[in-house]
Amino acid sequence: MPALIGGRYSVDFSVPVPGAGGGVMAFIARDQQNAASLIALQISPSAPSRAHAIELIGKSAIPGLLLPLAEGVAPSPEGGEAGFLICPAPPGPSLAASPRVWGERELLDCVLRPAAMVLEALAARGVTHRAIRPDNLFQNGAGEPVTLGAAWAAPAASLQPAAFEPPYAAMCHPAGRGEGSIADDIYALGVTLLTLALGRVPLAGLDDAAIIRRKLDLGSYAALIGDARLPPMIADLLRGMLAEDPAHRPPPQLYLDPSAARARRLAARPGRRAQRALAVGDHQVWDARSLAYALARRPEEAVRLVRGHYLDHWLRRSLGDAVLASRADEVVRQRSEMPVEDLRADAMMAMRLIAALDPLAPLCWRGLALWPDGLGGVLADGLVENKELAAKIDDFIAAEALGAWALMRPEHCDVTALRQTAQHHRMWQRIRGLGGGLPRIAYALNPLQPCASPLFAGRWVARLTDLLPALEAVSQQAERRRGEPVDAHIAAFIAAHQDGRLGGDLGAFAGEAASGEPQIASLRALARLQTALSSIPLPGLAAWLAERAEILLEHWQNRARRAEIATQLKRLAQAGQLLPMLALFDDHHGLAADAQGLKQALVAVAKIDAELASLRDAAEERRRRAQHVGHEIALGGGMLTLAASVGWLVFG
Amino acid sequence: MKAATRGGGAVAGRAPARPARSMVWLQGLACGALATLATPLAVLLGVLLLPGLCVLLLDRTPGRPVARTMLLCGAAASVSPAWQLWDHGLTMANSLDQLSDFLTLGLAWAATAAGWLLAEVTPVFVHLVLEGTSRRREAELRAARSRFEAEWGIPPADAEKPGA
Repeated sequence: MPALIGGRYSVDFSVPVPGAGGGVMAFIARDQQNAASLIALQISPSAPSRAHAIELIGKSAIPGLLLPLAEGVAPSPEGGEAGFLICPAPPGPSLAASPRVWGERELLDCVLRPAAMVLEALAARGVTHRAIRPDNLFQNGAGEPVTLGAAWAAPAASLQPAAFEPPYAAMCHPAGRGEGSIADDIYALGVTLLTLALGRVPLAGLDDAAIIRRKLDLGSYAALIGDARLPPMIADLLRGMLAEDPAHRPPPQLYLDPSAARARRLAARPGRRAQRALAVGDHQVWDARSLAYALARRPEEAVRLVRGHYLDHWLRRSLGDAVLASRADEVVRQRSEMPVEDLRADAMMAMRLIAALDPLAPLCWRGLALWPDGLGGVLADGLVENKELAAKIDDFIAAEALGAWALMRPEHCDVTALRQTAQHHRMWQRIRGLGGGLPRIAYALNPLQPCASPLFAGRWVARLTDLLPALEAVSQQAERRRGEPVDAHIAAFIAAHQDGRLGGDLGAFAGEAASGEPQIASLRALARLQTALSSIPLPGLAAWLAERAEILLEHWQNRARRAEIATQLKRLAQAGQLLPMLALFDDHHGLAADAQGLKQALVAVAKIDAELASLRDAAEERRRRAQHVGHEIALGGGMLTLAASVGWLVFG
Repeated sequence: MKAATRGGGAVAGRAPARPARSMVWLQGLACGALATLATPLAVLLGVLLLPGLCVLLLDRTPGRPVARTMLLCGAAASVSPAWQLWDHGLTMANSLDQLSDFLTLGLAWAATAAGWLLAEVTPVFVHLVLEGTSRRREAELRAARSRFEAEWGIPPADAEKPGA
């Protein structure tokens, strides 16, 4: 009997559903309570599902959208366990299954209005979709409204092609595009409408960098449409939907009446173009936006351009933007206050320069571009699969670059909130030893990311309640029981998922682990977890902890007491209750009495040793004394004999 | 006077120690008087106590405890012959008559030998008693230490000083 997800859904791995998962592997799922048509989306450990969005819309009813129904663990087809997200099955094939040119009326009635209704409902709940594209829109039949596919089983927008994302999202690491705003969904909807209107994907054949560069050079509308001829209504709608600034894209409710949306036009001033191009690497840039993108891809060029004064010269002479030049000067001045060889200062300067050149651009750090709310996704990817990426993020957090970036573009973000976030990340990063570092940040930012501990290889532990049963199962495998049951990942997982019930008890975790007593730290953490989350006996885990804690018995100096504690420990381990085991080691009064007893014993032994030494040293004295006393006794005997002899003569 | 000056005020109030007076001259006077006034008795006692007197001359131990014990034991055996000499007349003939009695002379010298044996054996016996007491105490202490070692994991005494 396979495990049921959410207590009612089973997955049939023999029936994959290609194209139904919006880019992730999908299988047919069955509901044990009714005959609804469902799919199970397999979640990748390095690309955790969108916990925040699932929480916000999990209980909602939004027609025209494949909503998440349940999230859980099931045996995967590859062996081991995997996380799955249960969604309703799409009503029909995706729009990409049979490409064709769509008419205006069909686009408005079957695609734009239904999608706008869904987006409006999502916006009302503070959620974005971020996976709108033809292969994730499904239609039951011709003339039917489309249904938006699932977008919850991977980080937001991580599976979107570059053409369907605004350039400032497309240039980011796929997992670092962040939740974004509903305006980003409007943009993707616009590109989807364009694709359907053209009957082909625009900019097909270009790589991601070329697409982004083209959009930045020409503007998204011009870059995507090119020479194509569109119905005037669609062209007018797309002009608003593909605006560069998210604030210029009309909200979803406006598209419920396309005529009103068409009438809404915001004139965006085109960017200033330089008289001469600036060479950045192999590319020639003509405006500040393109320069920012070029520097985002090749941050080392920023140092060259600044030190050679090319940047200042180009901004003042060729671009003729004195305000931008003075902002860049300020960034360079801040850099000059740091040592020349400071590479982190170079990275900080490049990041600030990019933010100054293009305030709409994402945060760019050493070639990595991401939005602040995409940090969790990038970190999950880096932690599981990409150590170089993890090192970049480590440096990024250590420099509190998020706060510095926010300060460069205060009109586009909440500076105070972002600086506090950066400080929080830095604080977690600075926790040395167990329970801190990048894993702590990753698990805190990705509540549904499975624990990446090597102990859980082949297992999927994404919730705190799953941790103890998983450890109990691990404890049955002798080859995995060699180390501590709580390693750095598990400690970080516990620390990141702890709630009010556990906070105080786990607070001392890092301290105890760092003080050289990881055994007591493990026992304490897991005991509190068992008390707070589960009352199920854990005899295997208890035996494992007891084995590891045997060394702690040496805290008791009295051998009889130590043997008694060991016996009690074994008995409690068999019962599988961790808290009483912890109480044995937390007996501070007993330990103090034991220490006092040892002190007294040492004093007594010192006295014994002193007396033994004096006995050894007094051998010669004893010999002399024996000689003296012996002679005295002999003299006494002689005198007694003499007295007896005289007495016998006189009286006898 | 010099000691008082060096010793300071605390010592200055004490009377200076008097050197022990030798009683040898008194003993010599007594022996001389005995030899002059009672020559037979002196001869009798001199022969009967001859071994003890020889040891008295040879013994260099402070207080000459062996010689004194031998003399005391010899004297105990000489009391009866001396009394008989006194009783039968203090003459040289009687003295020689006593000395010619093999039993009298043998008994006196045997008593002297017994005194020597007593003086030699008693210290050994006392030493054995003291050593036995010491060993018993040492065993008690070692047993107590072993109990502490077993109870508290205290390392053995020889483990603390591996070079010892």
